[in-house]
Amino acid sequence: MAKISFHHSDGNVDVLDVDPGTSIMRAAVTNGVAGIVGECGGQAMCATCHVYVRPEYLDGLPEIGDDEEEMLDCTTEERDGERSRLGCQLKAGEAFDNIEVDLPASQI
Amino acid sequence: MTAEALEARPVPTADWVTIPDLHRNPFPIFRKMRDEAPVHWVPAVNRYMVTSYEACHIIENDQEIFSANETNSLMKRAMGHSMLRKDDPEHDVDRKSYGSVLRPKAIKEHWNAIFQANSDKYLARLKAAGPGADLIREYAAPYAAENLRLIMGFHNATQEDMQRWSQTMINGTGNYADDPEVWAASEQSYNEVDDAIDEILPYLRKNPDSSLLSGMTSMPIPLEAIRANMKMTIGGGLNEPRDVLGVAVWALLSNPEQLDRVLADTSLFPAVFEESVRWVAPIGMYPRETTRDTVLEGVQLPKGARLGVVVGAANRDPKIFEDPDSFNIFRAKKPHLAFGGGNHYCAGAWVAKASVAGIALPQLFAELPNLRLDPARPAVDAGWVFRGMTSLPVLWDSK
Ligand code: HEM
Ligand code: FES
Repeated sequence: MAKISFHHSDGNVDVLDVDPGTSIMRAAVTNGVAGIVGECGGQAMCATCHVYVRPEYLDGLPEIGDDEEEMLDCTTEERDGERSRLGCQLKAGEAFDNIEVDLPASQI
Repeated sequence: MTAEALEARPVPTADWVTIPDLHRNPFPIFRKMRDEAPVHWVPAVNRYMVTSYEACHIIENDQEIFSANETNSLMKRAMGHSMLRKDDPEHDVDRKSYGSVLRPKAIKEHWNAIFQANSDKYLARLKAAGPGADLIREYAAPYAAENLRLIMGFHNATQEDMQRWSQTMINGTGNYADDPEVWAASEQSYNEVDDAIDEILPYLRKNPDSSLLSGMTSMPIPLEAIRANMKMTIGGGLNEPRDVLGVAVWALLSNPEQLDRVLADTSLFPAVFEESVRWVAPIGMYPRETTRDTVLEGVQLPKGARLGVVVGAANRDPKIFEDPDSFNIFRAKKPHLAFGGGNHYCAGAWVAKASVAGIALPQLFAELPNLRLDPARPAVDAGWVFRGMTSLPVLWDSK
């Protein structure tokens, strides 16, 4: 099991334990965590799964791929040069075992 | 039986629903159904129609239970077995073959200039036809068709071919009455598209460009899949941008206060686009099939149930959208389902936004002063599986 903490823009926090292979986006969508939409089901096509990874968890994340790079320029809330990632591209067990992310105020 | 299934209620039947009524105006019918239950068996449609937002959303995100690979699919007969009727992992292989062609970077680098040239061309045609012309026939339809022709790489066809192929094959996918004339026209287009692909692939291998077909020449993808995916994309990439364009113009011209705000602030055109596809989803319903007995939002469904995912209804679910029947570009932002969701999420969504909200709408309102509806000839909206303006006569002040 891996752990994801979602920090909402209003200060509330949701914490989920997820199986390896589950992306941050999938975890949020299947558990009804508000603030992540994930329209395209994880194909790096919609930019509605934008998260800001807390700085202490940035080390060890996989590099940003071409499709993700392109989508991060299409997010509704402004991209952060260091912390912005697509939740669908970060998977438990591969990218992290424990991670905390801040959610943007809007995804659309 | 699971506890869940025991508590679930049986599916109600909506035997009062008729296809002509749906075609004319489906929204009051959708509302009545949704108020009663999220799913109905509808004899006239020969499907279970799913009308609540929540239930449509559940289906889109669960391809294990709700398969896109429908048995006896008319779409497979009319267009071949495309990615739209496959589940992962097979679907994913086909989808990846589209590469980056329809994504924002390619749109910025290649397609926007082409969309602009096409908009110039057909706007000139509309102006030449003069006030009173049908905006759909003179502008929206050829604009959408010519854009798609070039994105796909059909350098050996015309936009008129694209329109004919699209409409005849779509008629095939909806040919529940098994009308032989409809099949004949659909099959002729099927063969013409195959021939056009066979002819153009060698050309594109020697003269590569940014198009879908050019990209296919270097992808490990069987010809059968290319053919089916191209036919599906002809059917799914032309009428929808045409229809959202028509609906957006009609809605703005019918809501002068909102039009004034947009004319004063053209950065509102993306909001006009999103509200137009929410309000009248160009693809109102698409199919799925259950792979086992299941319970959907409290309603029992048997294995093999043929579902119609009615996103046209979900987009007007009052649980999600306040005052859902009104067109309001300033409504609270909520994700609509007009582009589907999950693994089949529309591959052309960025293309549609760029060509319609980025180029066509701003240019139409900038270059046609005092654009307005023609009081003598009212606009006509029709359809429910696909819905849009069948005619939109407009007036403007010409110098
Ligand atoms: C406003 C315009 C459009 C709307 C509302 C729309 C809507 C949709 C919807 C609802 C689906 C999913 C259907 C399903 O899951 O069964 C879809 C899929 C698709 N659309 Fe669009 N579409 C539009 C424009 C376009 C354009 C311009 C193109 C091509 C350039 C396109 C290409 C596709 C393709 C290839 C798929 C299949 C994706 C897959 O199966 O993975 N669409 N579209
Ligand atoms: S879910 Fe669409 S980009 Fe991540």
